[in-house]
Amino acid sequence: MIEISQLAKSFSSGNRKIQAVRNVSFQVNAGEVFGLLGPNGAGKTTTMRMILGLLRPDSGYAEIDGLSSNDQPDEIKRRVGFLSASAGVYQWLTGLEILNFFGDVYGMEPSEIDSRIKELSELLQLGDFVNQRCSTLSTGQKQRINLARALIHDPPVMMLDEPTLGLDVVGSQVIFEYIDMLKQSEKAIILCTHRLEQAQRVCDRFGLLHQGAMAHTGTLEELRTATGRKDLVEIFVDLIAQTENSESGAAHV
Amino acid sequence: MSDSPARRVGGLRLRRLALKELRETLRDRRTIITLFAMPLLVYPILSLIFRTFLFSTLMSGTSDEPVKFNYMVESELDDEKLMAIREQLFKVTEMFLNPNQEAGQETDEVSDASKTNADEEVQLSVPGLPKPGPEIASFLEHDWTRYALDPENPVSLEDLIRKGEADVGLRINVRKGERRGFGYKVEIIQNESRANSRSATRVLKERLDVFNREGLRQRLKILRVRTDVAFQMEEQKVESSEPQKQPLSFAALIPLMLVLMTITGAVYPAIDLTAGERERGTLETLVAAPIPRISILMSKFIAVLTVAVLTATLNVAGILVTIWAFQLESMLGGGGLTWPMIAKVFALLILFAGFFSALLLAVTSYARSFKEAQAYLIPIILLSLAPGLMALTPGLSLNGPLAVAPMVNILLLARDVLEGQAELVPAMIAVLSTVLYGFVAILVAAKIFGTDAILYGSSGSWKDLFVRPTEPIDRVPTPTVITCLALLFPANFVLIGYLGRFQGPLATRLMLMGLFTFLTFMAFPYLVSAFQRVKVSSGFGFRMPRISFILLAVVLGCSLWPMVMSIITGWQYVLEFFQGAVESQAWHDRLIEFGKAQAASLREINPAIIAVTFAFLPALCEEWFFRGFLLRSLLKDRPVWLAITISAVVFGLFHVLSNSVVAMDRLLPTTLVGIVLGWLCYRSGSIIPGILMHMLHNGIVVFLAYYQPQLSEYAWFPAEGAAIPVSWIGVSALVSLACVFALQLLPRQSFDEAN
Repeated sequence: MIEISQLAKSFSSGNRKIQAVRNVSFQVNAGEVFGLLGPNGAGKTTTMRMILGLLRPDSGYAEIDGLSSNDQPDEIKRRVGFLSASAGVYQWLTGLEILNFFGDVYGMEPSEIDSRIKELSELLQLGDFVNQRCSTLSTGQKQRINLARALIHDPPVMMLDEPTLGLDVVGSQVIFEYIDMLKQSEKAIILCTHRLEQAQRVCDRFGLLHQGAMAHTGTLEELRTATGRKDLVEIFVDLIAQTENSESGAAHV
Repeated sequence: MSDSPARRVGGLRLRRLALKELRETLRDRRTIITLFAMPLLVYPILSLIFRTFLFSTLMSGTSDEPVKFNYMVESELDDEKLMAIREQLFKVTEMFLNPNQEAGQETDEVSDASKTNADEEVQLSVPGLPKPGPEIASFLEHDWTRYALDPENPVSLEDLIRKGEADVGLRINVRKGERRGFGYKVEIIQNESRANSRSATRVLKERLDVFNREGLRQRLKILRVRTDVAFQMEEQKVESSEPQKQPLSFAALIPLMLVLMTITGAVYPAIDLTAGERERGTLETLVAAPIPRISILMSKFIAVLTVAVLTATLNVAGILVTIWAFQLESMLGGGGLTWPMIAKVFALLILFAGFFSALLLAVTSYARSFKEAQAYLIPIILLSLAPGLMALTPGLSLNGPLAVAPMVNILLLARDVLEGQAELVPAMIAVLSTVLYGFVAILVAAKIFGTDAILYGSSGSWKDLFVRPTEPIDRVPTPTVITCLALLFPANFVLIGYLGRFQGPLATRLMLMGLFTFLTFMAFPYLVSAFQRVKVSSGFGFRMPRISFILLAVVLGCSLWPMVMSIITGWQYVLEFFQGAVESQAWHDRLIEFGKAQAASLREINPAIIAVTFAFLPALCEEWFFRGFLLRSLLKDRPVWLAITISAVVFGLFHVLSNSVVAMDRLLPTTLVGIVLGWLCYRSGSIIPGILMHMLHNGIVVFLAYYQPQLSEYAWFPAEGAAIPVSWIGVSALVSLACVFALQLLPRQSFDEAN
């Protein structure tokens, strides 16, 4: 369903060139949750933006249903529900207005939007607060509005970048339960998160990004075999330590 | 099937997007404050300040009384006679100026005070004429001083007016050849830079006019004697000797206030909907949706424009209420404030709001945060104050480069409208250039808005505008072409203005004209396209076409001119419809005179220079630019008819500005020729047939005029100034139409086809 091949992207900052993503490749199938994990600055967000066509890769390509994000970004956008880590809400609009607006933007009929909002309200436990202006909402409420917004057009592919950012335990729980449910309904999901325990529970396969490159890909079992470690947290710590060692080693040579 | 939802939303999408933007910005407290609080507070305070400090010296007496003017009279007539003239003048005319005082009607509704006045004047009224109105007394109260020349210290009446000793100077003498002492010659000396002088002149002229037109005619009709005018008017304007004392023009101040308030209204939403949205993290969500960035930007433009127009409306209302409440009408020149005038100023304000909103969006789209946007906008607002203050300069008129100077042109035009002195052609140039600038600003904004660089913070997005493509491209991109047009329009205007002032010999002037044509229409677009790596053959269609196109071009070049000339002279009928037979005949005479004079002066010049500057260079350079550069670019993503029409209208508009005289009559024929040339270029995939046709057409027209004296010796050739025979026009129309159809029948050659 999602096919990422040799994606690369660099940014120039002053005279320096920063290689944000280095030849990253992976696939995600329908009904599968792919955990794109990695420390801060590993290139997760940049990868997601390239998949969606918001950023143009220097090389490589991303395809969804055989459509390339370089050539048909609008087709890709129509198929993807995207929740970015830095996504905000419109302060002066109510949750309901935002959901209606985005339903419109994605070309849905008003009746379709209404029933979808009802459905999402139940699933994400959007209470009466959807009728309040967003400036009055709590972080958790805003994040749930945002998630509902990303799901409004019922897309076959979901890209969730830190969906539990700023949420308490109960709030996170709601989101992860919902991701589990999305998986049941045959969606292809790419999930970026720092909550490794939950990721371990919900994701089918993982991609461990580090400094823009894909360090490991595979199921939890495959990762365990490859690294000899028991769980994600250990693998993660190892990975960071390894690269630090190799970097300091390289520096000594 | 997959794109059907997009199509379904297409039509309504912009409206919905704009609605959301509007809802968002109009709920914001900060927008509301600038929108409502400012006009509510600013105008009453401003008007108080004006009343107290600025205009108190100008307004004699309180606002309950009319302004009292000071007329100074120099005359050989004796005092008694002069006073009689004065009374006559104000008395008789009063009856016609006061619409309530129809003949035979009683003045029941007037107040007590005015009744007394009316009673007093009854004995003075002429039988058969209406009774004098209540304002007579006040008009007689205008100071009417006799000017006596002091032999010791001779000062002319003009000097006194220049110094501001009196508002208007009058030199009244018996008209030459008058025996009965009935006709007078009145010379009016006014100081145009003083509002009071202008108003006093207006009052006086109005009276003289009415007297001449109505009073006398009626009286003389009764007496069955001559009906020519009694006062022959002559006007003279003097400059003020103390310029620093010139009062601020109120009519110029109003547009400036309105413009500044409109800017204030638009600034906040412009920042909030671009940089603010990026800062809040909602921009990425929007860009991640399947809508083109230009739609998002346009919706934001509509929202900013709406708020700006709302602000403008509230401010216009504020000013109107202020003017009404404080009775400041007399501060405006002309005929006071009228609804059509207000409508025009409002329309100009909307135009300005559009232009400025686009400019603001172009700047704020570049900013990554609210603060950054504010930092960019402060210098821009300060910069826009400069032209604003410049427009306040008395005596500045809307023509030449000022007509294309952004912001200044709109301010000056609004001032002229308020003073009732706006002229059509400079107004059109001002409006057109502003529309063009706004359009370019939107294109720039679209180029910057929502790009990765702005969205994700890497540097160098302005560079994208000037990025040189790595691979050669087949044509210049339309935004680049429009930016070039926006640069060429004012540049061309300034160059033509320079030529109009050029004092040297005509031959040099013609060669300069040729040089300018070459630089602006050929060299400049060539450099731009070379920078963009556009190939001359594909980008300009500068390549050999099939011979059949060449032949058709030659036939068209020879056959089109009688039809074009007949359309030019046909403009007379359009004028007749709008302005009457006298005006249109005058226009026609001017056209013939101008043509004769031009032909006569051209005959002094070597025909080779004429051939190069009138036929060869314009044909080559204009085809290069209008068909090669512009049409070729427009043909991408646009229906053929639209691209050809746009290029032809632009072609026509550029010709309207020719010869330093703005010639509206050339718009229609030139646009039509532009359409034929565009069609020829599109069908042949080359500009070379167009160059040939253009050259032949221009050459024939100019050399027929050049050799008119020799040609007129033949009986069949029309005399100078005579109309072109109808049979010629008929043949011209038939042959041209046949060629246009033949072009349709010939297989089309594309621009990219190698020959």
